[in-house]
Amino acid sequence: MTLPAAAATSSALLESLVERIDVGVFAVDRAGTVALWNRFMAVHSGKSSTAMLGQNLFAMFPELPRAWLEKKLESVFVLGNSAFTLWELRPYLFRFPHDRPITRGLDAMRQNVTFLPLRVAGGEISLVCGTIFDYTETAIAQCRLHEAIAALNTEKAAQGVLIGKLEAAQNQLLQSEKMASIGQLAAGVAHEINNPVGFVNSNLQSLKKYCEQMLHLITTYQAAEAQIADSELLARIAGLKQTLDIDFLQEDLPELIRESEDGLLRIKKIVEDLKDFSHVDESEWQYADLNAGLDSTLNVVWSEVKYKATVDKNYGQLPAVECLAAQLNQVFMNLIVNAAQAVDESRGMGSVTLSTGHQDEWVWVEVRDNGCGMSEDVKRRIFEPFFTTKPVGKGTGLGMSVSYNIVEKHHGRIEIDSHPGQGSRFRVWLPVSQPAATEP
Amino acid sequence: MTMDFISDDQREALQEVANIGMGQAGASIAQVLGEFVELSVPQIRAVDAAEIPAALVALAGDGIASAVRQAFLGELRGEAIVIFSEHSAHDLAELMSYGDALDAPASRELLLDISNVLVGACLGGIAELLRAEIGFSAPSLLADQVSTHQLLQAEAIAARCALLVEVRFGLERRVFRCHLIILMAEDAVAALQRALDRFIEEL
Repeated sequence: MTLPAAAATSSALLESLVERIDVGVFAVDRAGTVALWNRFMAVHSGKSSTAMLGQNLFAMFPELPRAWLEKKLESVFVLGNSAFTLWELRPYLFRFPHDRPITRGLDAMRQNVTFLPLRVAGGEISLVCGTIFDYTETAIAQCRLHEAIAALNTEKAAQGVLIGKLEAAQNQLLQSEKMASIGQLAAGVAHEINNPVGFVNSNLQSLKKYCEQMLHLITTYQAAEAQIADSELLARIAGLKQTLDIDFLQEDLPELIRESEDGLLRIKKIVEDLKDFSHVDESEWQYADLNAGLDSTLNVVWSEVKYKATVDKNYGQLPAVECLAAQLNQVFMNLIVNAAQAVDESRGMGSVTLSTGHQDEWVWVEVRDNGCGMSEDVKRRIFEPFFTTKPVGKGTGLGMSVSYNIVEKHHGRIEIDSHPGQGSRFRVWLPVSQPAATEP
Repeated sequence: MTMDFISDDQREALQEVANIGMGQAGASIAQVLGEFVELSVPQIRAVDAAEIPAALVALAGDGIASAVRQAFLGELRGEAIVIFSEHSAHDLAELMSYGDALDAPASRELLLDISNVLVGACLGGIAELLRAEIGFSAPSLLADQVSTHQLLQAEAIAARCALLVEVRFGLERRVFRCHLIILMAEDAVAALQRALDRFIEEL
């Protein structure tokens, strides 16, 4: 083959390659006139090279972003360097339908475009050649990847929430297990204490009676002292009275018995609390008006409250709630008494607000005070049996744990909002109806 | 660090080539953008890989910046990083004939476009003077509106040490300040040295 013939063959090969290559290839001159339009471009755009060659690109594709593209082409002409567009930032240059008319894909072919400077005559850049690469498959894959990552992140977030719930549930479980075991213990202790307290109480009553009788006798004897003539005997009696301090003894004996009675009464109260705590005696489930229950409870404890705080009521409309009314009243009583006792008396009368409300399938009863508030540590331990912040003898430390158990039995919960020095807010949430399975 | 992998002669030649290259680049950038461009004298130094992030912070200053990277290939190989430390997207959009509505992808594309012009003009100018054949890959976003301390992490750098050429750009009538940093890894510097020697011989 002669040299010119070889060159011709090579040129024809190149021409055929540009024509058939699976990349969009086109070229424009500085005026935007199309000088090259390969088969890829023709097939995808629906405009043949015959139709395109010699035509202005922007006239043939009015939808192209003309000002921007002209600037881009100009920069290639001026600088002699390539310019680029990327599908991630600019999905396509030419809007070509993509090759997935049947299986779902994207609205149009995603394209990476490179604009190359061409020096045809060897000197000045006379043409800019655009090469268009189809990135649709990559885009679809990346889209799916993003979706998968988003789904994973959603799942991860959901799992985080679940883990949080699990931790809370575990804490609650621990709490209720502690309550249950202490409840059993309390029931046993209450039972064991009840017997000796019973006979001590009965004996004490007898002792009290005997003492009264003895004292009566002694008083009678004392009245008869004047009748005694034996001066030696009189002196012995006087000495003995002196030594025994009989006047004080007579005075103190009934006092000691009264105090003992009082102590026994307190023991009985504690035992009762312990029995309540372990729910030794259950009452009937019934639908009750909690507003009325709150009112009657307030009446019962009014003497505890009236000198310490003013009570404001802010009751909402409540449906009848399925509950053990007597037990719920005990919860309210605990909360009201605690609120009154939280009042800082040095600052004058405190304020206790009772509110109720209704939300969907739940009702709530709230007791708020402006008293001393609770520290984080107290809040953490408030439902622990025998935990009390009150002075010795004033509280058993069972009130709140009893309340906790009662509310839990009602499938409700107690919300606490309290800050030291700013008062506390207890809100008891109760379902209007109990879940079927646990009804007695 | 001393310039231990490039001789004084070569360094001088590189400085001269860079100066002339930037002059030409300034003219062609002005032609593309239609605005007068302010260019600093190129600063050349060798840095350890570990020093590169700190060097970028020193150039761009504390604050928020975006950065674009672009590779150059061929006889001279390396990467250019353009740090946009201060720019008005609106001003640049006007220069590059973007429409008014500049959404997030378009504002990123705009930075890539500007970078491509700056990198192409500057490196193209230097390569032409050195009669070295180079090409460019498509630019990509390295960091989008992050603290300058996070532009580039030391562990993300593959090279052991690099030759760093820094040029500052500004536009007289626009809110625009950026740094062009050309980084060539140690092993690519040999090709640069050959090109520089050739340049010196031909003087």
